[in-house]
Amino acid sequence: MTQAAYLRMEGLSKAYPGVVALRGARLEARRGEAVALMGANGAGKSTLMNVLGGVTLPDEGSVTIDGAAVHLRSPREALAHGIAFVHQELAMLPSMTVAENVFADGFPTRFGVVDSARMHREATTLLARLGCNLPTGRLVETLGPGDRQMVEIARALRRAPRIMIFDEPTSSLTSREKARLFDIVQGLKRDNVAIIYITHFVDEIFEICERVTVMRNGATVADRAIAQTSPADVVHLMLGEADSAERLADASTGPGPVVLDVANLSGGLLRDINLTVSAGEVVGLWGLLGSGRTELVRALIGLDPIESGTLRWRADSELQPITPANLHRIAGVVTEDRRGEGLLLPLTTRANLSLTSLRSLLYAFGVIDRGKEERLATDMIGQMHIKVSGSGQTVGTLSGGNQQKVVVGRWLATNPRLFLLDEPTRGLDVGAKTEILKLTAALAHAGAAVLVISSEPEELLRICDRYLVMSRGRITAQLPGTANRTDLLAAVAAAPTPSRAA
Amino acid sequence: MSVAGRIGGLLLQHGFVAVLVVVFIVFAVFTDTFFTFGNIVDMLHAMSPLMVISAGLALVVMAGKLDISVGSVAYVAASCGTLLMLRLGWPPVPALLAALSVGAALGAINGLIVVVLRVNPLITTLGTMIAYRGVGLQLTNAEVARLPEGVRVLGNWSVGPVFGDTLIALAIVIAVHLLHRRTVFGRQLTAIGNGEDVARRIGMPVDWLVFAAFVFSGVLAAVGGVLDTLQIGAISAYLGKGLEFNAVAVIVVGGISLFGGRGAILSGVVLGALVFEMIRNGLNHVGANPYAYRLVSGAVIFAAMYADALKSGVRGAAARLLTRRDA
Ligand SMILES: Nc1ncnc2c1ncn2[C@@H]1O[C@H](COP(=O)(O)OP(=O)(O)OP(=O)(O)O)[C@@H](O)[C@H]1O
Ligand SMILES: [Mg+2]
Repeated sequence: MTQAAYLRMEGLSKAYPGVVALRGARLEARRGEAVALMGANGAGKSTLMNVLGGVTLPDEGSVTIDGAAVHLRSPREALAHGIAFVHQELAMLPSMTVAENVFADGFPTRFGVVDSARMHREATTLLARLGCNLPTGRLVETLGPGDRQMVEIARALRRAPRIMIFDEPTSSLTSREKARLFDIVQGLKRDNVAIIYITHFVDEIFEICERVTVMRNGATVADRAIAQTSPADVVHLMLGEADSAERLADASTGPGPVVLDVANLSGGLLRDINLTVSAGEVVGLWGLLGSGRTELVRALIGLDPIESGTLRWRADSELQPITPANLHRIAGVVTEDRRGEGLLLPLTTRANLSLTSLRSLLYAFGVIDRGKEERLATDMIGQMHIKVSGSGQTVGTLSGGNQQKVVVGRWLATNPRLFLLDEPTRGLDVGAKTEILKLTAALAHAGAAVLVISSEPEELLRICDRYLVMSRGRITAQLPGTANRTDLLAAVAAAPTPSRAA
Repeated sequence: MSVAGRIGGLLLQHGFVAVLVVVFIVFAVFTDTFFTFGNIVDMLHAMSPLMVISAGLALVVMAGKLDISVGSVAYVAASCGTLLMLRLGWPPVPALLAALSVGAALGAINGLIVVVLRVNPLITTLGTMIAYRGVGLQLTNAEVARLPEGVRVLGNWSVGPVFGDTLIALAIVIAVHLLHRRTVFGRQLTAIGNGEDVARRIGMPVDWLVFAAFVFSGVLAAVGGVLDTLQIGAISAYLGKGLEFNAVAVIVVGGISLFGGRGAILSGVVLGALVFEMIRNGLNHVGANPYAYRLVSGAVIFAAMYADALKSGVRGAAARLLTRRDA
């Protein structure tokens, strides 16, 4: 590790109107090593990588590769210097095939015509290296987030890069895909590639990185060898405070009356789902990716068709039948694909936050009360610690994690009695995660019923009063709030695995 | 999947095929002159200029842009060609090349405004649609100019029973289709239609590609204008008027998404143009009020769009079904 840095980024600054994204940031990477780039939401990690990827031009600062100063004015130039980029917001072309997406940065040709055969053949090989056997003729819009991620990685690998950037690659991967990704990273190290790895999962970096660089508010605050640091240390450097994993709510607040009752629901992957959610209760829906968790939420709010079953909702004092579409109207819903389904990227943060509560912001003649709207927005920005230059900043220019806070925040403003939260903390930094979890617990405490999905048992363990375990579209077990991590993992492992005919 | 299900799926995939079949059956049943060889040849002849212009526009639409100046470009280009022959005595071939160059130049102006000044393509080409027509009217003094005798006969040139311009138009549409499907340029345009930012991040020369698409559109509009002029035997102030909207309608009905990135040019343009030509021609044969054409065309556009909306609903559902993976 005494070898000189292959890539050196120094004194990088970048200011946007009202926001300083980078102030003299610094980063070094060595060949055959992975350096973790850590920092809270909005710290400037993606911006720094965009500079390296030729996507953003810095105001100041220098980049040297192998001792020579380079100017990266476009993604093409970055590619030419052997820099490959797996973006946080995937750069996918949905109506095109897997093969076309892999080769989008340079289609192979033969006699001036795109060589489809070669494209499919090589895409298959590249994907196979990733342990992924997707049909290369499939349209990307039919793929789930994990497979899309693999396609993006395959595209980056194709150029045999010398520097490879991963910007939050694991936020949408299953544990199996994650293991595969780690193998790839190890393989790249053996091939002497310099790797920059951004993530919010502190434990990951101790598994695969040699060094860690921490950013705070656009500046680099630390650069250390992994061996000389600890997870608590890293979190402390990122946030300036220590994170804890203690429970955020009593498991025994005693739930109120049942608010939502689902009986014998089937449709798509789902089979015979029975569940209830009561006021003041946080119910954790736990299961592996693909177990039907997301599908269940989608079916409840009418996004996927239901074949049979009934939903009942406590309107006043009794449970009455309700249609999924109506449930969608009254429940606060945060879906998995927040960027796609939740945000109006060109609009301001204020407009996005107030979108769900416009009705309460009206005055005479249905005109929106600007003052009230502004107050609501400022409240939410404060409450959620959303990092913006002001409520007028365009949502599309917020950092990835801050965009997610906006989507969650907008529902808090409406005070619904039922919340359906699908991975509400995905992409959030450790501090913001805790905030969201605290908020969730507070919501239940205030009397709302909450159904929450998470892929991380640690998160559920901090807030849930009850767990429903899902596997292959069925609820296979129910666990009390006193269950621990081992119980949760055992419940998934024990889930009956019927013949794979389904 | 059952046979019925498969047919249903096919109809949904190509809403316009259903429309086409319905329109065809209606006219074939209600008149005895519609479904005759001669009439079909006539229809293919009449729709040739529209097919060529729609093919050029389709490239722009693939990239998620729009060019509604094509009718005016057709007019100016054809007028230049004709006037060069009439006033300066140019031979037909150089005059044709001049007309195509004019089309390329006008397309390049559109492209520059969109790419360099970053003006929305609809606004840009709305402006140039009006301005170009003004230029054309100025050039021709808004008068009718008949083609020289020797050139006019070309309008009736045919190969066997089929008109020459039908063959030219088909060849061009096939060429544009291959350009879209088989070349890097075509794939990149489709990529831009999928997401301009994404295409930029991947490193595609987005500005050049969009510019080139507008130039293509201009050249093909000029070709369409020339074919139209040959059919009529003269240029008039009305040449190409409203053609831009017909071309957009052809594209929409042909299942090429106005949002960009989706659709097949060959089937889309040929069948889309055929739908409108059949309605126009068929209504004539039924002896309907000439204004009925507009009403029926409008209804057809709605029907096609509705099928398209259903289709994207199906697509969404299919996407969700397919994203389910084993844990
Ligand atoms: N185009 C832009 N216009 C204005 N502000 C921007 C733009 N791009 C980024 N910013 C701002 O720069 C800051 C840093 O953003 P960046 O995306 O680099 O954060 P990040 O560290 O990647 O965070 P996350 O973990 O949430 O992805 C944010 O405050 C963001 O709002
Ligand atoms: Mg980021």
